[in-house]
Amino acid sequence: MAVHYPLVHTATAPLAPPITWGDEISNFIRRKPLGAAGALIISVMLFVALFAPRLAPYDPYTPDYGAQFQRPSAAHWFGTDEFGRDVLSRIMYGARIALFVGFVASFVGCTLGALLGVVSAYAGGKVDLCLERLMDILLAFPLLILALAIASILGPAVQNVVVAISIPIIPRAARVVRASALSVKENRYVEAAGSLGASGRRVVLQHIVPNVMAPYIIIVTAQLGSAILTEAALSYLGLGTAEPTPSWGLMLSGSASAYAEKAPWIALFPGMAISLAVFGFNLFGDSLRDALDPRLRRKG
Amino acid sequence: MGNYLAKRLLLIIPTLLGVAAVVFVIMRVIPGDVALLILGGDQAGHIDKAQLAAMHHQLGLDQPLLTQFGVWLWGVAHFDFGTSLWTGRPVIEELVGRLPLSLELAILATIVSVLLAIPFGVLAAARRDTWIDYLIRVVSIGGLAIPSFWVGILIILLLVIYFGWGPPLEYTPPWIDPWANFQQMVWPVVTVGYRYAAVTTRMTRSTLLEVLGDDYIRTAWAKGLRERAVVVRHALRNAMLPVITLIGTEFAFFFGGPVVTETVFTLNGVGRFVVDAVAHRDYPVVQALVFLIAFGFVIVNLVIDLTYAWLDPRIRYR
Amino acid sequence: MTRPIRRHRTMLAVVLLAVLGAAALPSISSAAQALDTPRRGGVLLAVIGADPPSLDPHQESTFANIELVAPLYSTLLQLDPYHYPKIIGDVATDWKIAADGLTYTFKLRPGIHFHDGSTLTSADVKASYDKIIFPPAGVRSVRKNAYTAVERVEAPDPGTVIFKLKFPSASLLDNLASPWNVIFPKKYLDKDPNYFKTNVMGSGPFKFKNYTRGSTFEGERNPDYFVKDRPYLDGYKFFISPETSVRAAAIRSGRAYIEFRNLPSAEVEAIRKQLGDKIVVQETPMTGQWGIAVNNTAKPFNDVRVRKALTLGIDRYTMSKVLYPLTGLKYVGALMRPGSDWAMPTPELEKLPGFGRDMEKNRAEARKLLAEAGYPNGLKVVLKNRNVKLPYQDFAVFLIQEWRKIGVEVEHRPLETAAWFSDGQDTGNFELIVAPAVEFMDEPDQFLGRYATGSTQNWGRFSDPRVDDLFSRQARTLDPGERKRLINEMEKLVLENAYYMPGLWWSRNLVHWAKVKNYVAPPNHYTNQKLQDVWLSED
Repeated sequence: MAVHYPLVHTATAPLAPPITWGDEISNFIRRKPLGAAGALIISVMLFVALFAPRLAPYDPYTPDYGAQFQRPSAAHWFGTDEFGRDVLSRIMYGARIALFVGFVASFVGCTLGALLGVVSAYAGGKVDLCLERLMDILLAFPLLILALAIASILGPAVQNVVVAISIPIIPRAARVVRASALSVKENRYVEAAGSLGASGRRVVLQHIVPNVMAPYIIIVTAQLGSAILTEAALSYLGLGTAEPTPSWGLMLSGSASAYAEKAPWIALFPGMAISLAVFGFNLFGDSLRDALDPRLRRKG
Repeated sequence: MGNYLAKRLLLIIPTLLGVAAVVFVIMRVIPGDVALLILGGDQAGHIDKAQLAAMHHQLGLDQPLLTQFGVWLWGVAHFDFGTSLWTGRPVIEELVGRLPLSLELAILATIVSVLLAIPFGVLAAARRDTWIDYLIRVVSIGGLAIPSFWVGILIILLLVIYFGWGPPLEYTPPWIDPWANFQQMVWPVVTVGYRYAAVTTRMTRSTLLEVLGDDYIRTAWAKGLRERAVVVRHALRNAMLPVITLIGTEFAFFFGGPVVTETVFTLNGVGRFVVDAVAHRDYPVVQALVFLIAFGFVIVNLVIDLTYAWLDPRIRYR
Repeated sequence: MTRPIRRHRTMLAVVLLAVLGAAALPSISSAAQALDTPRRGGVLLAVIGADPPSLDPHQESTFANIELVAPLYSTLLQLDPYHYPKIIGDVATDWKIAADGLTYTFKLRPGIHFHDGSTLTSADVKASYDKIIFPPAGVRSVRKNAYTAVERVEAPDPGTVIFKLKFPSASLLDNLASPWNVIFPKKYLDKDPNYFKTNVMGSGPFKFKNYTRGSTFEGERNPDYFVKDRPYLDGYKFFISPETSVRAAAIRSGRAYIEFRNLPSAEVEAIRKQLGDKIVVQETPMTGQWGIAVNNTAKPFNDVRVRKALTLGIDRYTMSKVLYPLTGLKYVGALMRPGSDWAMPTPELEKLPGFGRDMEKNRAEARKLLAEAGYPNGLKVVLKNRNVKLPYQDFAVFLIQEWRKIGVEVEHRPLETAAWFSDGQDTGNFELIVAPAVEFMDEPDQFLGRYATGSTQNWGRFSDPRVDDLFSRQARTLDPGERKRLINEMEKLVLENAYYMPGLWWSRNLVHWAKVKNYVAPPNHYTNQKLQDVWLSED
């Protein structure tokens, strides 16, 4: 005889209400307001950079000799520069360059560095020693001087700037990732896995890599801001992007201060743009780090 | 301990050699002939091949690269960094003339930043996630984010436009004329110091937070110690090591010079000199300078590592 | 010199000057301030934008050298500071040119001493000019080629110098007035001809005091100067700062009184607004122009149609209006300075490609020429440039925009000075490159030599025997009218074939505090740097 047991349908059992995206975001904002602010700034910049050709009211390259040095007005929100070019449009297009250089240089540099760091940590011995020395050598150069020298070799152009900036990033990333990978490697858990017969590659992929992801992400976001600043400094010194490219650093170079009394908006807005971008990345990066770093998670 | 020291010292040598080699190669790879520059001035001049060849020979540039490198290394071992290709004067002379200014800037900026950073860093960590913390973090990120050359330009402009005041144009050491020295150095120190302070504040805050999460701190809380005792006496001391490392390395990097700041404020310092030297393809100067910076960096690292090792025996036996 | 004597001398000087001043009033036309009585004393504070590579003017061609060392030396002849381009003597008192134009005899002033006390004689003049015209191995002489006509220099007695020529030269006298041809003492040149790259020993109104590279350069008054009662100043001091805005700020705040080269109009405006009549701005046309060198040996620029199209596409008249407030580039002219004695008359100029007023027509013709040459859909070119903002970068920005209008897409490549120079002059590794032409006076030999075959200044590496012929003929033609005709013909050839594309001639703003008296800005920053007549009305 079949017994009817009253079935409790788990599907109808009281559950906690599902967490929506909206809830996630407002949680994030509540817990980490600074990080959220940073994320907002980054999103706006990305949006502007991606859609600059649609959003920009004027062509950033075309001079308008009838409209030089215009004050900010309805026609030109940020005014015009010495050639009559619309400053707002140039700032928007400048975002493309800044973010392009920032992202690419940081990702490329950090990824290469991370790879070297993992290899160095995992291989150990002579390989480690050699790579460590190499990284030490590169690290001993002040970042700007190294970037400067490389930019001198390659000449002023956006792609060269990216290369020039990513090279000094490599050793910085390698160092951080290596330290992290080393600590994982010495973890008994990994030793155990190894003694159970897991292959080297498996150990690396399954244990080391996930554990270095956190420092990797942290250093990528940390270097983003630094890359943007270095690009600005190089352009300011004349070794970065070239006229008439609307790069923020270039817009600040020499003559901006020459016209600063007549047309202060020429010098003001690019500087503000650079500051805002780096600010946003750092805010976000900081909160990310707070969230990912196990030792800091305790109180938050 | 002695073993550790010896091992570390030995490792310095290949690093330094490596730095020397890299600088050497980079400088030679950059296009542009220093002899041509010297002969040609900064506008088109008349140059014939014989003159160019003679100049190359005079500068020792016609020797094979390895020979040039060897000659230079030999000189370095005797503290002779060669003669500037551009000015014809010994590199040491050129550097020594500019060192006081860079040193003063470095020291003053460090003092300013430490005086600001430690208290603010502690405060931010102790009051984590409150508005004080947020304020301090925002202001210090500002120091990192705002390009220092932009700040410098704005400062000079404001001073000139509204006060008709400009800084003195030449360097007077503080023991000769402190007021003139102050006038020249105050704004660059503020500009550079703000940035330096920002970095150090953040570092102080984050290392302190890490330490505050540690077990022995929990014990201290559990023992009922007051906040100040916990934070300052226990946690801070342990947090200081990475901070001191940071201060040390940033200081060492000062000899790369805050290049752009020096340009903006017209300081005749080491940083601007290096940029100039790169522009002129003045190899001996760039080589000497980068080598010295690297040397300083390596020494600072060594001292810090030794301090760590002395404090934490586990490291010595690795 | 002890104080009491100086006081007496001051009184004598005042009396003398009052008399001389009254007598000389009619001839001091452009120096309005000279009507005041000069005051003695004070140190002139100036700013300058660069360090010199060396201290030897024979071997340099940059303002950074001549501005600093000119007050320390004397030259054989000089340009009259108040009556450009008249030539007067410095060390020489008078001279005779033989009827056949092959012998120049100069009489030297007696009683001139170098700063170490030794006497300046014709032997020193000969040694210095031998170094310039026949430099020994390992010593360079930048202006050597201006003296190819000279066969030898003779010093028959301590007070006479003779130049013997191989052929008559119309420009020799002008070239001998070059501010770069300073007189060194023979005894130092004999020991080491490169001695003066790092040392100073001259006979000028000021003695060398101190030089801190990257920072300051100082000179102090020479009490034994051979011109009585000069100089008025106690000394001069240059502050070295490469940033233009810093130099402008220095002038505005009074930390420096004068900038000898140029300040951009925007800075000048701001300074004027702030300081009003405490400041004097002298605007003078410059003996210098910015243009574009074309690589005549590379495709497609070896095709005259392409070159012509490019020069037709540049609206030089609008360029002048637009670039003048930004850079000081102002005057439209051919290869000799408009406004000088050698300028091409405007109606002739406007017939040449690139100088016509009807831009619609010019652009249509440019597009037609490009199509004929095989580029109906336009052309992509690379413009190399020097990595200096003023006026190089702004010049390029305008050009790029102009050429866009005729379908030419330009990639702009600024290079550091070293690389720019190397690519331009040494290897000819460029398609188009910005190339200025600046000299110390409107001297045809100096300006036009760069269009001759094989000249090191002929960056475009073109060769036209007709141009060469006209150049050497004008160098030997003594009659100015005939010489001018030859020069204009030569210019027409170069411009019609667009071997080189001139841009604009420069105008500069020399800014100084009103208390700096008796300084007349010459048409370039190489001459009138001796400062012997300058005085400060207050400290």
